[in-house]
Amino acid sequence: MLEQMPPADAALVTGTPAGHRLDMDGIRVRYGQATAVDDVTLTVPPGEILALLGPSGCGKTTLLRSVAGFIRPEAGRVLVDGRPIDHLPPGGRGVGIVFQSYALFPHMTAAQNVAYGLEARGRPQKEIRQKVEAALAAVRMEAFAERRPRALSGGQQQRVALARALAIEPAILLLDEPFAALDRALRLDLQLEIKRIQRRFGVTAVLVTHDQDEAMSMADRMAVMRGGRVEQVGAPAEVYDNPATPFVAGFVGTSNRLHGRIEAREGAAYRIRLDVGASLVADSPRGFAVGERVLLTARPEQLALRDASDPDPAAFPARLRQSLPLGPALMHDVEAGSTELKLHQPRHGAPPVPGPVRVALLPEARPALFAAGDAA
Amino acid sequence: MMRLAARDRPLALLILALAAIGLLVLAGPVLIVLLTSFTTSQALRFPPPGLTLRWYAELFDATRSAQIHRAALNSLAVAACTAAIATALATAAALAISRSRATWARFAEGAFLAPLVLPGIAYGLATLMFFSWLRLPPSFLLLVAGHAIIATPFALRTVGASAAGLDPALLESSASLGASPWRTFRRVILPLILPGVAAGGFLSFVSSLDNVPVSLFLSSAGTDMLPIRLWGMMESALDVRVAAASGVLVAVAFLLLVVMDRAVGLVRRMAG
Repeated sequence: MLEQMPPADAALVTGTPAGHRLDMDGIRVRYGQATAVDDVTLTVPPGEILALLGPSGCGKTTLLRSVAGFIRPEAGRVLVDGRPIDHLPPGGRGVGIVFQSYALFPHMTAAQNVAYGLEARGRPQKEIRQKVEAALAAVRMEAFAERRPRALSGGQQQRVALARALAIEPAILLLDEPFAALDRALRLDLQLEIKRIQRRFGVTAVLVTHDQDEAMSMADRMAVMRGGRVEQVGAPAEVYDNPATPFVAGFVGTSNRLHGRIEAREGAAYRIRLDVGASLVADSPRGFAVGERVLLTARPEQLALRDASDPDPAAFPARLRQSLPLGPALMHDVEAGSTELKLHQPRHGAPPVPGPVRVALLPEARPALFAAGDAA
Repeated sequence: MMRLAARDRPLALLILALAAIGLLVLAGPVLIVLLTSFTTSQALRFPPPGLTLRWYAELFDATRSAQIHRAALNSLAVAACTAAIATALATAAALAISRSRATWARFAEGAFLAPLVLPGIAYGLATLMFFSWLRLPPSFLLLVAGHAIIATPFALRTVGASAAGLDPALLESSASLGASPWRTFRRVILPLILPGVAAGGFLSFVSSLDNVPVSLFLSSAGTDMLPIRLWGMMESALDVRVAAASGVLVAVAFLLLVVMDRAVGLVRRMAG
């Protein structure tokens, strides 16, 4: 018999939320010479979704696999409700996984797939039947119980995979790029649905993704990873508004990068001379010396197009190349010298004519400021 | 069908001619043996002067062909045991090899496939000397052991192809759902690689059934094997029952092939 975590209280039948806390404490994983995960410490409070966001090779999947028990980290601990689970095999950790490929057993029906974990745990037949029904109903797949995975669409397979992971009443739910194989149109619907189901079961979840939109829409908090390290952890809006590094600014949302020099301190803020020819004021939680080279990152919606004759010294000259309608907004493709910029503006009236313009920071905008030496 | 441009036609004709020659060389002897087995003549000679089923009747006669029957039963029993052992070995090896990227796995794969390139006669002699050195007299079990080593590579080919197609996430998924390795094997791995296992069983069965070199050295009076017995009959007298027996073997093999192909797509698997 496997050593087991105590069964989760979030009973499928009652639907009572009762989350468990997940701690990753100083986890380090090395493959040969390469460090895949480098001393990562993260906490997921009960019932929350944490997104591990980063480009491929950043260590997010390796970290997830360490929690799942497929990888033995070289250092660090994984704890559920404060109890280490490192010594437990994958099946004894109370962890449910939805794989990127869904990994449904192709020779079993949807119902048999969902029953698999319960059978492996030796639950009585009657209980298995009830729980399979409840789990399939929770993902609205009860009508497809007798279908094989091949006869299901990608979205349906994903829902069965979720039902299978939830049927064992896991303390922790791991989602490994669960939307990567789906059509874009389907994704948002499924993201909303999975988040609803996760909330209802009150299960603590970790979502691995390289898609910032997915992380923004699904996660309570996100950890942006690069090179095996966590660059920033926070609520999605907080990370978006206050990126901690230029990398985060570029990876989470679109950022326009403007180089410049600190001209003066003005109270808690700095006056910056941009290389593109503007002088503006911005504040920052980080400290800079006068004369220091800095990188300013501004979101597309923080910049505005002005008339070429606008005398504002905080605006800089640029050239509008084209304007593309992006749903309710217009995306302006602008160049200022050798710097390429993207601007978002609500769409009203006719689009502006390409040609010389000026670009200004919106008065309420708070761009992020970094020392120019910081790695991109 | 592919439509060919006019300038490609000579090439197409050449390929067609080569294919025809190849088919003739491969299938011709089989057809000749089949035709000869119906001869009215007393000796193995082609073309047959007339056709009769007489030799098949003699072949299946319980008293006059008792020795052939005993040899055939021996061969079938050895082939069945060989197929079971070779398939089990190949399955275990294929699963371990497919899941490992380590150097030892590549080495093990080579070692398992080595009997394919080993000259059969040298291997037969070697097994005889090895077993005599161990003071083991020729026996049924030794025959099975010798055949199993020869047959395992055949099974490894097909099981290996099936195992390589297994999504590792399925195994992780099973483990994470709480299944023991044995349950994972029984409920997930085996059902998914079953076509490869069945094909491997068939190929190792056939390779054992018509193996001569190992049987030559390891069979004894008590364990007379069909191919050896047929060869003996050929040498002493050009007994037409040899042709009839060949006819039966060809027919049974062909029938099995069709059944297996229907069941698991054997031809596709062997090609892969």
